[in-house]
Amino acid sequence: MEPALLINTLMILTLLVILTPILLPLLSKTMKTTPTLITHTTKTAFIISLAPMSLFMWTNTESITSYWELKFIMTFKIPLSFKFDQYSMMFFPIALLVTWSILQFATWYMHLEPHITKFFSYLSMFLIAMLTLTAANNMFLLFIGWEGVGIMSFMLIGWWYGRADANTAALQAVLYNRIGDIGLILTMAWLALTSNTWEMQTCPTHMQTLPLLGLILAATGKSAQFGLHPWLPAAMEGPTPVSALLHSSTMVVAGIFLLIRTHYMLETNQLALTLCLCLGALSTLFAATCALTQNDIKKIIAFSTSSQLGLMMVTIGLNLPQLAFLHISTHAFFKAMLFLCSGSIIHNLNGEQDIRKMGNLQKMLPTTTSCFTIGNLALMGTPFLAGFYSKDVIIENLNTSYLNTWALLLTLLATAFTATYSMRMTLMVQTGQTRTNPAIMMDENNPSITQPLTRLTLGSIMAGLLITSYITPTSISPMTMPTLTKTAAMTTTMMGLILALELSTLTHNFYHPKQTPYMNFSSSLGYFNPLTHRLNITKLLNNSQKIATHLVDLSWYKKMGPEGLTDFQLKLTKTSTILHTGLIKTYLTSFALSTLIILSTQ
Amino acid sequence: MRGCGDAGTRAHIHASIPPAALSPRAALPSPMNLARLMAAAAGARGRACAWPPGRSREPPRAAEAGAMAAYLTHQQKVLRLYKKSLRHLESWCIYRDKYRYFACLLRERFDKNKDVKDMVKATELLRAGEEEFWATQHPQPYIFPDSPGGTSYERYECYKVPEWCLDFWHPSEKAMYPDYFAKREQWKKLQRESWDKEIKQLEEETPADGPKTEALPPARKEGHLPPLWWHYVTRPREMPM
Repeated sequence: MEPALLINTLMILTLLVILTPILLPLLSKTMKTTPTLITHTTKTAFIISLAPMSLFMWTNTESITSYWELKFIMTFKIPLSFKFDQYSMMFFPIALLVTWSILQFATWYMHLEPHITKFFSYLSMFLIAMLTLTAANNMFLLFIGWEGVGIMSFMLIGWWYGRADANTAALQAVLYNRIGDIGLILTMAWLALTSNTWEMQTCPTHMQTLPLLGLILAATGKSAQFGLHPWLPAAMEGPTPVSALLHSSTMVVAGIFLLIRTHYMLETNQLALTLCLCLGALSTLFAATCALTQNDIKKIIAFSTSSQLGLMMVTIGLNLPQLAFLHISTHAFFKAMLFLCSGSIIHNLNGEQDIRKMGNLQKMLPTTTSCFTIGNLALMGTPFLAGFYSKDVIIENLNTSYLNTWALLLTLLATAFTATYSMRMTLMVQTGQTRTNPAIMMDENNPSITQPLTRLTLGSIMAGLLITSYITPTSISPMTMPTLTKTAAMTTTMMGLILALELSTLTHNFYHPKQTPYMNFSSSLGYFNPLTHRLNITKLLNNSQKIATHLVDLSWYKKMGPEGLTDFQLKLTKTSTILHTGLIKTYLTSFALSTLIILSTQ
Repeated sequence: MRGCGDAGTRAHIHASIPPAALSPRAALPSPMNLARLMAAAAGARGRACAWPPGRSREPPRAAEAGAMAAYLTHQQKVLRLYKKSLRHLESWCIYRDKYRYFACLLRERFDKNKDVKDMVKATELLRAGEEEFWATQHPQPYIFPDSPGGTSYERYECYKVPEWCLDFWHPSEKAMYPDYFAKREQWKKLQRESWDKEIKQLEEETPADGPKTEALPPARKEGHLPPLWWHYVTRPREMPM
């Protein structure tokens, strides 16, 4: 059979299979959705999506299909056109495997929740939006998926809406994403105006800087680059499966994915590439610095995600979209696994999220902590685990390119810090004395925990090797470089590890720790939140109040209307009043006299 | 502060209401016996609990043990500083042996000035201690998950539905739990009957310029129920089902 036809059919079948748990209960009277049903559906979808991926690997077939148009009026329609190319066909199985593992884990994690089916439906709707975004061939469908993942993120972060912090975090996520959406809409509007198309193929390759800046703004908002990043650590208010799915593997990479899809527009504009590079370098270092002093396990992993997203942005800035996609794929595995391990630890410790109250978990939760270790090693770029294949190549390319030294230094420093905070987390969580409450029952013998973790561990180990072996690279990575450059990533990682070990020995020493300026900077997340939130919002609200009251009410309605007219009239009257003398009897007499004279001459 | 208030009110309520009546889903005792139990409890305690009297011309009595006054005593301030500094020390010194070492040193510093009788000097020492605490506090102190500011705080508030929603159930739904709703009608009748008496008691006992404390008084007479008991008896459970 024709591979293109098979690919189209199977990919659309995957999308339809995921839609079934949401649509079928609406159409049937007896069918009810259950969490296990949704988990099995996602598993089925994953297995189906393996076929197009294998077809692509062996035959290199890509396809673009336009299925249907949802016509509203003559000129406004939503074209369902999908692009099944390397990126979407590779992303589908990875996203579906990660989602399946997370859903299976969530059947254990959320089993005490009264509305667990609603939770699973929300995750399922998120998955549909994400896959739509990934497979979209035109900007409008991508925008639908973009907004869909934003809204589902809002609803899932605020899942426990009785908690004030969760509501604040959800609002923060929505608002920051909205600022990014301004950029995306700007680009879409510009494309519609100048090239009259939203299809990816027909978009112009040489674009002006403004729409490219719009795209970069969109990626900054969605992928939590520096400037629009505070929502990502705040999003940890949501349940751990939400953090694992949305805020580590799938949603936050949507911004980077957009830049990968539109990379042929970016590659001709050097300004845009440099902006991506510098923004990514700043984001990765800033997030890694903040992660060094955090004590909440989920926040550390959140900042780690933010740092890796910065690294992906750096790769985009180096004009290597395929490498960025490789990093997205490998990162999805080990980051989701880290979150699931942390979820297992948190639940087993009865809600304890602070690493200062965890220790010696290696003896008590062996499977979880082994997977945790493998995930951390993969994150650090340990040779031949998944992270190595993407991270090492990125650093090599960074070192051998002609670029900004500052960006290079920042990225290398962030790589070292990655090793530091990962090691710190591992040491404090897994080793040492037991600092947990000794009277709790820990049990990880549930297959709902161990199966997803082992699956993702396997992915963390093998994914890098498999993807690089079977996918033909579109650009040649540098083959020759000095030994120091080649081992730069590993050297910086080792230095970070040694730093972490030194710091942990210092913690054991008997001296009283104190606040220092650097520690305070890192602890308070660079003072970014209080500075920007209050300043910007008060300025904005003051200005809008001035516009509403002074400009609109006073100026336009009053001064330009009645009051202005009154002032004008009054001024005229006052000037003319002093010109005359006020002798009315004389005026009346002269008036009567002149009337008589006129009448007598008629 | 919140905990102290709750402990005070809980002490009142626990003395006046049998524990079986506290959880709404527990086996509901007969409302008729409840009044008798109340009276017995009130009678046994006599006038030992002296809630601040209002309009009666008795001399002011000392507040009950556990009730909060409007200001903190010096002892309370010192103890709060000690507990705060221990908690922040625990956030700094993660390993238990190191924490124990510094905690002993801290305790020794507090104990050195234990017997200072001069209040001026004691207040100055306290002030110096507070300033030192402010300078050396931990930027991310350890907060227990269920405490205010913790990660699980108020997490299940969205599932805590008030009890009046039970009145809005459809009759077909109510028919699924006939015993419960029958008992509930009896409880509601009891509440309607005792409401006026509760309000009368509160009006009598509140001082003219407003209540001095959040603590509620117990029932004073035979056959009366403590004021605002419905609010506590029908409070939602801590963790959702």
